Amino acid sequence: MFTNRKKKSFKWCLLVSFLLANIVMHAQERKVTGKITSSEDLLGLPGANVYIKNSSVGASADMDGNYTVIVGEKNAVLVFNFVGFQSVEVPVGTKSVINVSLKPDTKALDEVIVVGYGTRKKSDITGSVSSVTAKELTAFPLLNAEQALQGRAAGVSVMTNNGGEPGAPTKIRVRGGTSINASGDALIVVDGFAGVSMPAPQDIASIEVLKDASATAIYGSRGSNGVIMVTTKKGKPGKPVIEFSNSTSVQSVNNKLHLLNADQFAAYRQSFTTHTQGPANSDWQDIIYRDGMISNTQLSFSGGSENVRYYISGTYFNQNGVVINSGIDKYTIVGNLEADLSPKFKVGLNTFTSKQNKEGIISQTGAGGTGAAGVIASAYRFMPDKGIYNADGTYTTTAPIGDDIDNPYATAMENILETVSIVNRNNFFAQYQITKDLDFKTTLGLTDNNSQTGRFIPSTLIAGKNIKGEASVNNTRFSSFLTENYLTFKREIIDRGMLTVLGGYSYQKNKNENSYAASRGFLTNTNSYRNLGAGTVFLKPDSGLSETELISAFGRLNFDYDEKYLFTFTARRDGSSSFSKNYKYGTFPSGAIGWNISNENFLKDNKTVSNLKLRASYGATGNPSIGAYSTLSRFSEIYYVSGDVITNSVQLTSLDNPNLKWETSYQQDYGIDLGLFDNRISITADYYKTITKDLLFNRPLPGISGIASQLQNVGELENKGWELGINTRNFIGADFTWSTNFNISSNKNKVLKLADNKDLLINSAPGHFLATESQILRVGQPVGSFFGFIYDGVIQQGEAVLPGNFETTPGGEKFRDYNGDGKLDSQDKTIIGNPNPDFIFGFNNDFTYKNIDLNIFFQGSQGGQILNYTLMELASGNNNATTEVLDAWTPTNTNTNVPANAARTKRITSRFVYDGSYIRLKNVSIGYSLDEKIVSKMGLSKVRFYISAQNLWTITDYPGTDPETNYLNDTNSRSNTNLGLDYGGYPNVRTFTAGFNLKF
Amino acid sequence: MKKYIALLCFGTLAFFSCSDLEEKPVGIIRPENFFNNTDDLQAAVNGAFANIGHNNYWGREFTIALMLRDDMSDIGDRTTQAARIDVNDMSMNDTNALVANFWPQSYVIITAANQAIEGAKKTPGDPAKVNAIVAQAYFARAFAYYHLVRLFGDIPYVDFVVNDVNQVNSLTKTKEADVYPKIIADLEFAKQWLDDKPKVKAVPGKGTAAGYLASVYLTLGNFQKAYDEAKFVITNEAKFGLGLDADFQDLFNATKTASLKEPLFTIDFNNLTSGNYGQDYTAFFTGSLKDDSYSYGQGFSVAVPSLKVFNTWDQRDYRRAVSFDTIIRKKTGPGGSLQVYPSSDNEKVPRPHIAKYFRFPGKAGANGRTSQHNYITMRYAEVLLTAAEALNEINPGTAEADGYVNRVRARARNKAGKQVSFPANVTPGLSQTDFRKMVIDERRLELAFEYIRWYDIKRLKIGPEVFGPNGLEPHANFDPNRDYLWPLPGTELAINPNLQPNNPGY
Repeated sequence: MFTNRKKKSFKWCLLVSFLLANIVMHAQERKVTGKITSSEDLLGLPGANVYIKNSSVGASADMDGNYTVIVGEKNAVLVFNFVGFQSVEVPVGTKSVINVSLKPDTKALDEVIVVGYGTRKKSDITGSVSSVTAKELTAFPLLNAEQALQGRAAGVSVMTNNGGEPGAPTKIRVRGGTSINASGDALIVVDGFAGVSMPAPQDIASIEVLKDASATAIYGSRGSNGVIMVTTKKGKPGKPVIEFSNSTSVQSVNNKLHLLNADQFAAYRQSFTTHTQGPANSDWQDIIYRDGMISNTQLSFSGGSENVRYYISGTYFNQNGVVINSGIDKYTIVGNLEADLSPKFKVGLNTFTSKQNKEGIISQTGAGGTGAAGVIASAYRFMPDKGIYNADGTYTTTAPIGDDIDNPYATAMENILETVSIVNRNNFFAQYQITKDLDFKTTLGLTDNNSQTGRFIPSTLIAGKNIKGEASVNNTRFSSFLTENYLTFKREIIDRGMLTVLGGYSYQKNKNENSYAASRGFLTNTNSYRNLGAGTVFLKPDSGLSETELISAFGRLNFDYDEKYLFTFTARRDGSSSFSKNYKYGTFPSGAIGWNISNENFLKDNKTVSNLKLRASYGATGNPSIGAYSTLSRFSEIYYVSGDVITNSVQLTSLDNPNLKWETSYQQDYGIDLGLFDNRISITADYYKTITKDLLFNRPLPGISGIASQLQNVGELENKGWELGINTRNFIGADFTWSTNFNISSNKNKVLKLADNKDLLINSAPGHFLATESQILRVGQPVGSFFGFIYDGVIQQGEAVLPGNFETTPGGEKFRDYNGDGKLDSQDKTIIGNPNPDFIFGFNNDFTYKNIDLNIFFQGSQGGQILNYTLMELASGNNNATTEVLDAWTPTNTNTNVPANAARTKRITSRFVYDGSYIRLKNVSIGYSLDEKIVSKMGLSKVRFYISAQNLWTITDYPGTDPETNYLNDTNSRSNTNLGLDYGGYPNVRTFTAGFNLKF
Repeated sequence: MKKYIALLCFGTLAFFSCSDLEEKPVGIIRPENFFNNTDDLQAAVNGAFANIGHNNYWGREFTIALMLRDDMSDIGDRTTQAARIDVNDMSMNDTNALVANFWPQSYVIITAANQAIEGAKKTPGDPAKVNAIVAQAYFARAFAYYHLVRLFGDIPYVDFVVNDVNQVNSLTKTKEADVYPKIIADLEFAKQWLDDKPKVKAVPGKGTAAGYLASVYLTLGNFQKAYDEAKFVITNEAKFGLGLDADFQDLFNATKTASLKEPLFTIDFNNLTSGNYGQDYTAFFTGSLKDDSYSYGQGFSVAVPSLKVFNTWDQRDYRRAVSFDTIIRKKTGPGGSLQVYPSSDNEKVPRPHIAKYFRFPGKAGANGRTSQHNYITMRYAEVLLTAAEALNEINPGTAEADGYVNRVRARARNKAGKQVSFPANVTPGLSQTDFRKMVIDERRLELAFEYIRWYDIKRLKIGPEVFGPNGLEPHANFDPNRDYLWPLPGTELAINPNLQPNNPGY
């Protein structure tokens, strides 16, 4: 149809329009360059970001702050941002050079703090909250972020449960222990999901510790121990960021006990009993210790466009412990995704998966009798004049001296104790903006934690010899479903009066399952615990299930007037299935007021005082202290033999208690925040007092009731103290900066009321000590007080001995007649020590000089005492001893506090109570970041190398291995009453690390 | 539109679950869901018996106290727990650790029995079958109270299910004279409904209830009724599957107790434990230190025979050989083989030891703990001797009474298969006083170290004689106004002041 002529012109038209379009396009796609500087010093900001709004096109500034970006579309807007500076948007228009000067974000008060179910500007906070940044969390390589909190936040006490053991759990306490029989651990909330475990430190963006009732009451029945809000990293719009980091560490035991060698040991034993010196000279501590190693690798991707933001990271952590045959392997994957389906509708998904394999050794055992000692405790006890093997190739044991235990090498190498733990967590949320003031958010979370522990005692060890090996497998599973739904309303209801209202509903269901099987009598030791059926004697198996549900309604009202007068009210009503019939629900209200004095006219433009806020709060929070089914009467299966056959038999083991209530803490807090010189110095100070009422106790019942005890609300406890945190930016220069953070806190704990106000005695001594009590709960005294006789030195020749004193000859131990009645008996036992420290502190210094950064961090505790069961055992005669016995009393060496060498009953006395105060150089690290020019040539945006050392140096008078010790501080009541105890714990370690971070 | 869909989704999510927060435990037995059939009832009844076979009762704390208290046993190792020494030396006080353990345990047994009795009321099924099972609970309750009332006199009596602690916080003591009728009533119910011949000796039968009734009446001094009950057992011995076993040693051999016919009631242990259940220590306490004869190791010489008991016992009596161990063995021979030494070679406790429990405990744990003994709480020989003693009191000089004692003696003449002539039959025509003395002493020897003797001393009020300077175990401080009764635990009296005062002298 087209004539030839028309075809030709069509072709020309196309060509011309194509050329024109090209020219136009090229004309639109133009280069924009410029320099991004800091408004403070007018110097370029290397690494600053610039990107085109609503796209993923962007660039980073070079070492001088210069950038180049290709802008393709019309009406493009460039966004400039950089960490620590306020971001700026500039429409491109027709410009080809755009220079920007970014203002530093000195008003860190505009920093957003995560509180329960929302965020608040720091300046609007009325409660007591401490923040820990990602930088502080990654200052040194750690398996878990809990340890990173140590010394970082005032009032937060963090202690590892078992020294440097790979995978040892960590205890976090905020403002003292508020219970005796229920857990004292703070509640951990990760991205809104309550009651879960911490992610790896590299994945954490920030941690806020909510400390007072105003901040924690929104968590109601779980808030009395403080709440740790963890926010993981999320993607930011702009160029994708890829980060890779790797570190390798070498660890060594930081302190050994000074024990006797073979000759000294023989001489020691021969001074009070017959002893033939053995053939060897073993240093058992050296035999079981080795250089440990850690390797920590992480790769993460994050980024996003205007509508989608993502953060994906994988971490691999591998550690060989400093004790032989112990180590851990952990893989973690985190995925955070957020998408804006529309400007009003946002959804997101946070996933977390981790798998941990742990090769454990036996340590911190509850008893050390025949065949039952842990590796480290036996390394202290075992005689140095024996080797690892007997002449016939079997392992040596302590026989015939004292309880028969295997040598430490055998205990470490032959025992198998493997734990595999898997954590799966998925949290979905959706957020919809109903109107411009009203926002609705719903979350749905599922978590599934599985753990399997396999244990095998081979026949080469004493405990396994007669029974031909014992293998057991224990499985536990924890699953949780949580949904939270809340509305947030925010509007300026009157001139300058901002009202924020939050109301919500939450439902959580937790399920705990367990199963256990074990058998004995194996032909061979090679099966370990992987073939229970091959045994010939089957032990009683076990399985169990417990479920709890929690239904809550919560609300919060914030009213801020003129950013000067702040009012906060929160209330939460929790109903828990594990609570008694008549008290299923509890209500936890709190109120707080704050006054931003620095916003008042008379201080507004003050040059010195840049921030001054007073705040006060009062509220009630609860402790989920009652286990599932514990208010119900029940029949339990008990063991019964009839006609030599095991027969079904049940017995009533608990009575219905329809009136059991939650433990409730009433806390008042008064705080002041002060910032000076444009917040170069910022100080936070708090004073608080918490009274916990209705403490749960297993109250002994009269024998004629047929039930041993019943859980009742009978106790009261008080914690009061103060906290002080000082942050200073000492020096801010072009090349050199120095900032300091110092925090110190003191907590005084006191029992106010007990059942019938009668003393309660607690025994935490290892079982084979045959002690009857070691600690006491007494009205007016702190929880965990040690209880025993006061040691008054050595009986000298010619000295009169108190009637009832256990030894009567010179050289013996002398105890004090505390009640002055002229004889020594159980009435002379008294409180001999307090494990609660007077205060704890942390002191952090950050220096940067050009490309070098230096961090020095001290942490310490002053005043807590430690009862050392290890030293008590080493002084008892039928095992090795410390070198203190070289100064033992003899008729010629009378000026000593060490009694004459003898075999003695292990007794709880003040002789073994020591001062556990310490200051520790927790971290020193030096890093070097390569120059921008070199880095960008490699296609990277940041390269940093660093070396660091942890636990480099400790100052302490404590004669044990390490003042950070937590024997038998595991389950609920023991975590409160068993403080400051030392027995056979895994040693603490000194670590040297070298590593690097790369950022693409 | 999108907006409304979104809201709908959230709405359903928000009201995802409504719950009444009621706990529905799986794997836990709730009393209201129990007692659905006779098996449930039997399990609840077994709860009472399981608590008898417990460390705090027949396993250790109770029996060691009963054994040490009488004039047959003394403390061997004087560095043992102070509470045990106090019981033996008549120097008890209200903090005694043994009492503090077995007093509450007694009430655990009683509570379990009360629960079963209450539960029987709602158990469906044939009433005869239900009664046959719950009768065992009545027996268990009577058993526990019978021991309690003999040791402590006036005691708190609980025969109802305790739902609320306050019910027992204000309970007062029931007088001893009022407790006995209740024990008798329980035993009568048991006697009426228990089986004639239970499948195993660990389950009480009619004969068991009658045997205990005889013992109760003997204690109360009601000799006619004591004789009637004992005679009832004796007449029906075949029906109840009772009799005297041929070899005295077999009674104390854990491997043989399953086949015995003499026990009326046993508490069974089988070398396996679960916590404190199934944990026994009697072999451990009575075995000898320094004795390597057995694979399970040395005993701990805590309870040993009073020396005079050993020295005055006629050497010809086979029962003496069964009751005592006069040698120990040490691995001093070539290649570590065992060599025999007299028991005086035990430097710590140089004297003969009690052999009834340590010699044949079956499979035992370290040092004789957790043996396989089925401890006999009452055996047929005791019933025969009860009948003889009661008959002598109502009608002295009968051949029938002689006959009962002679049966016991005849069995004693079977020295492991060989017939010997000692002990000879009773001389006929003894006076009432002489017969009484003879039969009490026969009880002492026949039932040596079997937890009977202390109760005999108490009911006959012969304390000053047996603990006097010429007695078998002299204790100068024996006070007949005080030491026939034991002190109630002080902690109980502190919690419930209505139980005060304690027994006189404490």
